[in-house]
Amino acid sequence: MERKRRWARRALISLSLLLVVCVALFFALPTLLIAPANVAKSDVILHGSISPHSTADEYVVDLYRQGVARKIVCLSSQVSWELYPGDYARERLISLGVPAEDVVSLRLPVAPCAAVNLPRIVEFVKAHGWRSALLITHPEDSRYASIVARRFFEREGVSIAVSYAPEDRAALTRSWWRTHWKTQRMVGETMSITLDLFYAECR
Amino acid sequence: MVRDRAQAGQWLISHRVEKAKREYGMNGMNGTDGKKTGFLAPFRQFRFFRLFRHLSSSRARALLIVSACLFAGYFLTPVLLNEAAEGLIREDPLVKADVIVALGGDRLCNREKRAAELYHQGWADNVVVSGLRYASGFHTGEAARAYVVNLGVPAEKISMISETLNTRAEAKVLDGLMRERGWKSAIIVTSAFHSRRAMYTIEKTARDGVFHSSPVPTGYPEWEPYAWWSRRGDVFLTVRELVSWVNTLASGWQ
Repeated sequence: MERKRRWARRALISLSLLLVVCVALFFALPTLLIAPANVAKSDVILHGSISPHSTADEYVVDLYRQGVARKIVCLSSQVSWELYPGDYARERLISLGVPAEDVVSLRLPVAPCAAVNLPRIVEFVKAHGWRSALLITHPEDSRYASIVARRFFEREGVSIAVSYAPEDRAALTRSWWRTHWKTQRMVGETMSITLDLFYAECR
Repeated sequence: MVRDRAQAGQWLISHRVEKAKREYGMNGMNGTDGKKTGFLAPFRQFRFFRLFRHLSSSRARALLIVSACLFAGYFLTPVLLNEAAEGLIREDPLVKADVIVALGGDRLCNREKRAAELYHQGWADNVVVSGLRYASGFHTGEAARAYVVNLGVPAEKISMISETLNTRAEAKVLDGLMRERGWKSAIIVTSAFHSRRAMYTIEKTARDGVFHSSPVPTGYPEWEPYAWWSRRGDVFLTVRELVSWVNTLASGWQ
């Protein structure tokens, strides 16, 4: 009887510890997922932060005006019928003052993970003779994107830095656990990173 | 192959259960011809169990139980995972309704395509599409509407619901639209993996309406419930849907 009770106590303590670790990990998600923004002077800005909540268009224009890069590529996959957000982001950047000849839209196929499309992006960058790139991504994707993108780009001799709009980070991390879309993005990113470890095509 | 393991699991269960029924009767407790009876009687036929019949120590028994659980788990897990994915789907018989609703969020527009097919088959006289406005100024609902028009549905028969970030918000806006237009019934078109939760949410929100589910047919690359764990994209959708179910049932994030 005493032995059973001891086992029950051990199981209860283990479960409680597991729960505490899970809760701590959940609230630590912004720290774990968001890397410090790293803006480096590059040949091209790869604008991949196009979503209903993003203000990255303005940030990209600011970087362009500061002379961080002379060319901008808007990256996107289809989100509805013949609808590529990159095309619209390009139009918006032009309306914000970027010369049309300095901004292009690169259409990518719908893919289960980022790593599937990265070789296409690297090829595009190399084909234009660019040797360095600044990738603008969603804040929650920044740490993972910098790890994965670095692997693909640096293998081909292209240096890469990863950044995001500070306003996006502020908006995303403000009471994020209380808002559906913010929690959805944090948890979705965590799931994506975890799954990528198990599937060869995404590593 | 993992896929074969699922089949092997199903075969093993059916084969052993049939054999046990033949030898011990339907419930394994009514043996009358000298055979052993009792709840565990059907399992005595397994050679694996007979190997341990002389072992009496509790440690050996524990080992036996753990081994049996691992063995069963190896074959049963794929069956259970397939069943869990199948459970996400709800498909109702088609009946004539006031409106066909293609829920938003499908990058490949399979939902809108299915809605247009149902419209042309005469299941309803109106179509509703859904979408979101992006910061760059475009609207995915407008693209969905254009696609449905392109498929031959008259523009005046198409309505759009907007700014619906999740299924619950979509259900609320749809409820309002149906009341405004006097529509009483709807065919809900969404992806198969999303169909049961979408119907649960909509039926809970719009209590006055009658809803029928007509999900987009399953099949890779969109989503395939069979052996979903072997494809990265399907794992993401299935696990996310299961997590969303927990959120929906707990009435959590909105």
